Amino acid sequence: MKSKLLLALLTVTLAGTAAAQAKVEDAIKFRQSGYVFMAWNMQRIKANVEGTYNKDEVIKAANAIQAIANSGMGALYVPGSDKGKGWEDTRVKPELFTNKEGVGKVAGAFVKEANEMAKVAATGDAAAAKEQFGKLGGTCKGCHDDFKVKK
Amino acid sequence: MNKQRIRLWDLPTRLFHWGLVLAVVAALVSGQVGGKLIELHGKIGLAIVGLIAFRLVWGFAGSTYARFAQFFPTPARIRTYLKGEWRGLGHNPLGGLSVFTLIFLLTVQVASGLFANDDIAFVGPLFELVTKSLSDSLTGLHHLLSNVLIAFVVLHVGAVIFHGRVKKDDLVKPMLTGWKEGVSGEPARGGGVIALAVALMLAGLAVYGASGAWMPEPPPPPAAVETPNW
Repeated sequence: MKSKLLLALLTVTLAGTAAAQAKVEDAIKFRQSGYVFMAWNMQRIKANVEGTYNKDEVIKAANAIQAIANSGMGALYVPGSDKGKGWEDTRVKPELFTNKEGVGKVAGAFVKEANEMAKVAATGDAAAAKEQFGKLGGTCKGCHDDFKVKK
Repeated sequence: MNKQRIRLWDLPTRLFHWGLVLAVVAALVSGQVGGKLIELHGKIGLAIVGLIAFRLVWGFAGSTYARFAQFFPTPARIRTYLKGEWRGLGHNPLGGLSVFTLIFLLTVQVASGLFANDDIAFVGPLFELVTKSLSDSLTGLHHLLSNVLIAFVVLHVGAVIFHGRVKKDDLVKPMLTGWKEGVSGEPARGGGVIALAVALMLAGLAVYGASGAWMPEPPPPPAAVETPNW
């Protein structure tokens, strides 16, 4: 009887752990997907501000980045997701989970510039878009420098 | 009474030195600041490729004191120098060691930068030749080495100040004017116009190779009219 109870307890615990792991893996996948999708759109803006400027392309790309920036991705940095594998091993630094103030600052800067990027894109001003693209890229770097592991 | 002085550093060596000073400082600043400066950072990197390639050729084709063989830091030379018995001109054995170290570090630094990416929207000009994973590793090396280089620059400037203040040997002035005051010895010879032309040509080739301009154009993206409206 006792051993059966123990077995049941163990099963529940294991299942719970597995579920938690699955959630962590999903969270890492979601956030990695967000960054990769933003990378595509950053490349599109770059191609436009450096080559022939297509207003509609830049608007689409800037809106996509803005949407992801405002999606509240911070929620994906769940406890236990400092390590683990999504599409690949996460490259988040443990500091992201401890230095809340620092993360808030760089994330806030990114959201602000992403919103501004969408605003500038809507005007169709190529020179302003190029300028804003540089600022936006700078805020990506702000987080990469402090919270992303270098290989 | 004329003080004795000799011709020490030829003009190309001096231009190389100060050009490298400007380029390395600009590369460090633009790399740290990032943002839109990252494009400039890439161009500065290509300039450093050219400078390093030039110096490598000049180490064989340049004038007396610019030649690698003249100041190659063999263990015997370093021992002599550390005992205080070195009486040469030009780079002393530790200075020579510093020259070779810096050229090596900068070579690895620009080479890794050519394949690097910043996970934002910038890639080095030869990024396409390697996998993303290798590029990530080289990027990591590039970041690590930038700190080593900063330490090295501080050491270099510190050593120059030490020689000026403590050993009363002004190393800066000869690097500006080319003349070393108050010494006698063989003046620098060689490194003529033809050598300079060859060095510049090879440096140009190195920049061309590093710029990736020789790589086939990527296929043009499909025309805008074919872009689906979703």
